[in-house]
Amino acid sequence: MKQELLLEFFSEEIPARFQKKAIADSKNVFTKILNDCGAEFSEIETYVSPRRITIRVLQLSQNTKDISEEKRGPKVTAPENAITGFLKSNGKVKKDLIERDGYYYLAIETKGLPISELIGDMIEDFIAQMPWQKSMRWYLEKEKSLSAFWVRPLRSIMCIYGRNVIETYIKSAGLTTCDNTYGHHFLSSEKIRVFDFADYIDKLEKNYVILDFFKKREYIDREMTQRAAAMGLCLRVDTDLLDEVTGLVEYPFIHIGTIEEKFMELPPIVLSTSMKVHQKYFTLTYPDSVIAPFFGTVTNVPGTEIMHEGLDRVLRARLSDAMFFYKEDADVTLEAFAQRLSNVIFHEKLGSMAQKIDRMMSIANSREEHRTIALCKADLMTQMVGEFPELQGFMGEIYAKVQGEDPEVCKAIKEHYKPNGANDSLPESRTGARVAFFDKLDTLVGFIGVGIYPTGSKDPFALRRAALCIVRLLCDFKVDILEREKLSWYIETLMTSYSEQGIALDPETLTEVEGFIVERLKVYMADKLGIDAEIVESVISSFDGLDFDYKAAITKAEKLFGLSKLETFEIVREAYKRATGVIGEENIKHATLESLSFNDENMANVKEILSKLQKSNGEEFEIFVQASEAVLKACDNVLINDPNEETKKRNLQLFNIFLELVQKHIGII
Amino acid sequence: MAETTKSFQDIIFDLQKYWANQGCVIMQPYDTEVGAGTSHHATTLKALGDDYWDVAFVQPCRRPKDGRYAENPNRTQYYYQYQVILKPAPSNPQELYLGSLEAIGFDLSAHDIRFVEDDWENPSLGAAGLGWEVWCDGMEITQYTYFQQVGGITCSVPPVEITYGLERIATFIQNVESHFEINWNGREDERKLTYGDVLKRFEREFSCYNFDVASVDILFNHFSDYEKECQKLLAHNLVMPAYEQCVKANHCFNLLDARGVISVTERAGYIARVRALAKACCQAWCESLKEAD
Repeated sequence: MKQELLLEFFSEEIPARFQKKAIADSKNVFTKILNDCGAEFSEIETYVSPRRITIRVLQLSQNTKDISEEKRGPKVTAPENAITGFLKSNGKVKKDLIERDGYYYLAIETKGLPISELIGDMIEDFIAQMPWQKSMRWYLEKEKSLSAFWVRPLRSIMCIYGRNVIETYIKSAGLTTCDNTYGHHFLSSEKIRVFDFADYIDKLEKNYVILDFFKKREYIDREMTQRAAAMGLCLRVDTDLLDEVTGLVEYPFIHIGTIEEKFMELPPIVLSTSMKVHQKYFTLTYPDSVIAPFFGTVTNVPGTEIMHEGLDRVLRARLSDAMFFYKEDADVTLEAFAQRLSNVIFHEKLGSMAQKIDRMMSIANSREEHRTIALCKADLMTQMVGEFPELQGFMGEIYAKVQGEDPEVCKAIKEHYKPNGANDSLPESRTGARVAFFDKLDTLVGFIGVGIYPTGSKDPFALRRAALCIVRLLCDFKVDILEREKLSWYIETLMTSYSEQGIALDPETLTEVEGFIVERLKVYMADKLGIDAEIVESVISSFDGLDFDYKAAITKAEKLFGLSKLETFEIVREAYKRATGVIGEENIKHATLESLSFNDENMANVKEILSKLQKSNGEEFEIFVQASEAVLKACDNVLINDPNEETKKRNLQLFNIFLELVQKHIGII
Repeated sequence: MAETTKSFQDIIFDLQKYWANQGCVIMQPYDTEVGAGTSHHATTLKALGDDYWDVAFVQPCRRPKDGRYAENPNRTQYYYQYQVILKPAPSNPQELYLGSLEAIGFDLSAHDIRFVEDDWENPSLGAAGLGWEVWCDGMEITQYTYFQQVGGITCSVPPVEITYGLERIATFIQNVESHFEINWNGREDERKLTYGDVLKRFEREFSCYNFDVASVDILFNHFSDYEKECQKLLAHNLVMPAYEQCVKANHCFNLLDARGVISVTERAGYIARVRALAKACCQAWCESLKEAD
């Protein structure tokens, strides 16, 4: 018989930020537990809301499958006691042993068992295996010992199979499973008896619990948008915040509150950050995106007048604090804040933030760049950034404007943190882009120079991200941010600055840093642009060394990637391969096309097409195809390695010109 | 006498009574400067070991850096916590807590009470736990923590710590804007005394002392002296007096921090020094418990 299994792990409030992940994790973990014990079922659904994790298994067979497997034991040569131990632990005797490839095996037949007998262990396993980012233990009076690890104390476990409760004692939680649940923490008081999932979800809704995270989130989004629209306002989209507030309520009630007028003089980003970080309030704007003196929030119980007053009042207190920081900060110049950076350690091996700034200065060029570098880290010392670290750069720009800095500098202060990762936008200002590049490059040169690299998934100083940002700035910024110098010049100049500060870097740093950035370039081309890894490799190896033009590399890779999808590309590839094979290890002296002449019509044809190719500057792929066809024809019909040394030399020189042209314009293929 | 308002002191009386009825020992504040009730030896030291320990008390707290010269309605460098420790945590501490809110006059149906994740950590004490800040209409009124570790030592019997922000709760109950408007004695006539009447001058003068005037050299010396004394007392196996020196050193550090004379780099160093003392005290405490067995 196949029936539904319904489990609920009822606990104190699960942190909002864990809930979405727990939906997937609980599904994976419980699916594995079911499969491992040979349970047969059609589907599994999991739900997480603030106080519960619910698992629903559909069409679960009453008994698990019979499993027959062969278990490998000790080697035939193993000591006697190892063999008897193996037999004993499997409840077998000596004559059951199967000998194969020098090992003993046992055929183990596991009879399927009723779910009702297995469920206790399955629940114990689930509690033990569910991964929580952070978990705790609590004291079990019944057990006189500590519980298993769970996110918050478990208070009840429900277990219903086919409309019947299965009662079993769960030692690690000190609880006996039951068929009861509880509704909303405040809007429902009694224990609720449950029969099956349909009954469960229905009773929960009646008792103010929306079980489905996504349904609840959708409701909040829709309702708040409508409530704002009714006031002529727009809800500013914030998915992270929406997820968080969804995880904070069992049943959402929407409220629009008011921001007191005097706080509207705060910079908009301070308003919205303070509301989000401290109060989890949504920002509302006018249709022109200007922030409105209202906020959106979600409560867990229906609003009352006194509650709404409280929600406004607590925001006033928060914004009073922000105002205090803002006014205190504005009394100090950014220069004065910047001076304090000598007390801030960038990294213990790489000196202070002030030293970092000095090094960045050594590769800067324009007046705007120098000014930006001098001020760009100053806001780290402000009270506002102390309170809201996510406002770094933003406050720098705001305070720079207040003290009347050049607009280019103000913008660059904010933008020098960009792009922050693979999906963030690039800086708009040239100064911002250059200073961002200086900052990241200094970080890479320093860390790599003292031997700190990312390992596996661990990259505590975000060096890969820094390198990726450099790649994006080099490839995608509208102008060449290197200006007149090469990448190597910047790295070497930074290395000199480090050494002048008495910070010793590995002499191989230049090559290491170049190699590190090129690795990111490869990843960027492959992951972000979707270019074949093979093509990426061939393009990069077609350059001489690592200090090449990244913009050109991207263009070349994209072009080659496009060409590689053409059918005719195979012809070029084949010709390239054959020509390479013919030349083999021969050392070919370079010759110009004009200096070569041929009697053989095949070779003369190759020469003619190659000169066409040179004239077209490699722009037209069709000519490559023609040239390749001519090369292939020549390979078939001409003895390239002619007994006459002079002829042979000319032939090989011509083929070599073909290869050079392909390498230059397409790549090594 | 016209008494229409639930006074600040009534809230405290109600809490004392409520937790006394739950079987708690009602202790009195620690008579030295602490940043939180957690620093009371009745919390830090007693959280370790296997014995039952249910206790509640008011604790005045000093957080020099939080001073705002009495200009911010809700942030002050001196305020009162109501601290409850239940060890081991029973199976219904949330219920007990909500019961206490009702006992002091909260209408739970008129407010939005929420348990919002806040894993509390006190780096100076090497203490950490999991729990929430309890929000009432968006304002944090209580910190609720299942201790897991104190002084770097894992709690063998994890207690729950419930820490009420008394001023914040009073602003709710009395529906006032600012801590300073809280009615302290509950009178509505000319003899009414507010929180501001009692403490505003204290707040303003201590803000000046903490931020602007405190003698840095003297504080640095105090810090080192307390540190030395703590180590000496530990050598004599006098754990509770040693712990008190550690608490005093911590307060000196907080004052120096408020004076802005501790750089970001040095900061970590000072915290590590206090933590080393706290850990040593907690270790000595645990060893003494073992010997007693």
